[in-house]
Amino acid sequence: MSALRLATRSVLRSRQLAAPWRGSFRGYAEVPSDRIRLNLTLPHQTIYQDADVVQVNLPATTGDLGVLANHVPTVEQLRPGVIDVVEESGATKQFFVSGGFAVVQPGSLLSINAIEAYPVEDFSAEAVRAQLAEAQKNATSGSEVDQVEAKIELEVLEALAAVAK
Amino acid sequence: MSSLRTCVRPVVQAAKAWSYRSRAPANTYATLREIESRLKSIKNIEKITNTMKIVASTKLSRVQRAMFDSRAYGETSDEIFKKAETVPATEGNKLIIVSSSDKGLCGGIHSQISKAVRAKLALEPDADLVILGDKAKTQLARTYASNIVLSFNQIGKEIPTFAEAQSIADQIFKLGKKYDSIEIFYNRFKSGISFEPTSVPAFTEESLKTSPNFTAYDIEEDLAQDLTEFALANAIFWALAEGHACEQSARRSAMDNASKNAGDMIGRYSILYNRTRQAVITNELVDIITGASSLQ
Repeated sequence: MSALRLATRSVLRSRQLAAPWRGSFRGYAEVPSDRIRLNLTLPHQTIYQDADVVQVNLPATTGDLGVLANHVPTVEQLRPGVIDVVEESGATKQFFVSGGFAVVQPGSLLSINAIEAYPVEDFSAEAVRAQLAEAQKNATSGSEVDQVEAKIELEVLEALAAVAK
Repeated sequence: MSSLRTCVRPVVQAAKAWSYRSRAPANTYATLREIESRLKSIKNIEKITNTMKIVASTKLSRVQRAMFDSRAYGETSDEIFKKAETVPATEGNKLIIVSSSDKGLCGGIHSQISKAVRAKLALEPDADLVILGDKAKTQLARTYASNIVLSFNQIGKEIPTFAEAQSIADQIFKLGKKYDSIEIFYNRFKSGISFEPTSVPAFTEESLKTSPNFTAYDIEEDLAQDLTEFALANAIFWALAEGHACEQSARRSAMDNASKNAGDMIGRYSILYNRTRQAVITNELVDIITGASSLQ
């Protein structure tokens, strides 16, 4: 079943690239042909606003995804993981996100709405371990709502533990 | 007969003069005390409104920053609907979400948004209402109480968090009713002194799937519903943050005007008080002097 879905997706993808792009551009400056324009926004902070970057790697629920210029328009849900942003200067910034949505728009524009995202360096491994132990305890006791919440917390923390130094 | 009249008249006149004289000082003393108490209360009011104005203006810079961040976030969330050229459905169940708050003393914020919602409800009287904030609820419950399905309070105390917006969206979905179009009414922040009641649509799964440009996107089947639910929470968050910013700036200017008016009144009443005080003293002096001169 998933193989069929993959096959149709790859067919769709090739179809998109072959079809000529006829869109109505608004009065923005055109995105350079080898860059992707990134909007990485959080509810209380805007990390990237109309920034032209080289590549963005996203942890999607369907698997890890690398987005370059002229990527086919896609909608992906993000799972807890690390977003890599390769900037024009060549530097790579890494942000850990708890979840959200990433949409590649037509015209090399990547819109990411994440709920929480922080640079990977800002996390402390001991704090993650302590919270992991706490969440594991809650996942097996307490009301059903508490257990489900603890399981979600565990998912985020386990992904974080793999990355935090 | 005439002698009776002549001896009655002086008595009546004397009585009149006596009663007038004894009443006049009592009148001005009472008036003086009234003016004094009035002056004191206006001074207190001026202190309070001045403090509220200062509090609102110190909060303003932080609240404005939060609003700009929320605007960037909300506009990013809206981008897919813009590019897909989604249009809201015109038929079916309609939901109107009203973003207001619990606190008053902020000028025309709550009455203007309620007016806009009432105008919309006049066109679509069957729409369901979800009200965020007690002030709008009291205004809308007067005429459209039967439309209200949910209302939230404890809104507007601090800068809204995404968690609040998410739980509001969650409660809306828990209602179980499938809405074909959702519209969010909020006050849009135009500048530090002006705001405008606006409405934005929050698109549903069907509107997204039937958009003209939707096929341009490569999207998993079940993701459309999750995306629209997420977008609703984002839109609610954006509306709450902008409404909060409008409210703080409106409160600042309302309290500023109130302080100015109170200051004017204090000036007027102070002059009146001094004049009355001097009149009382003059009257007492006249009494003393006439009394003293009549003895000589």
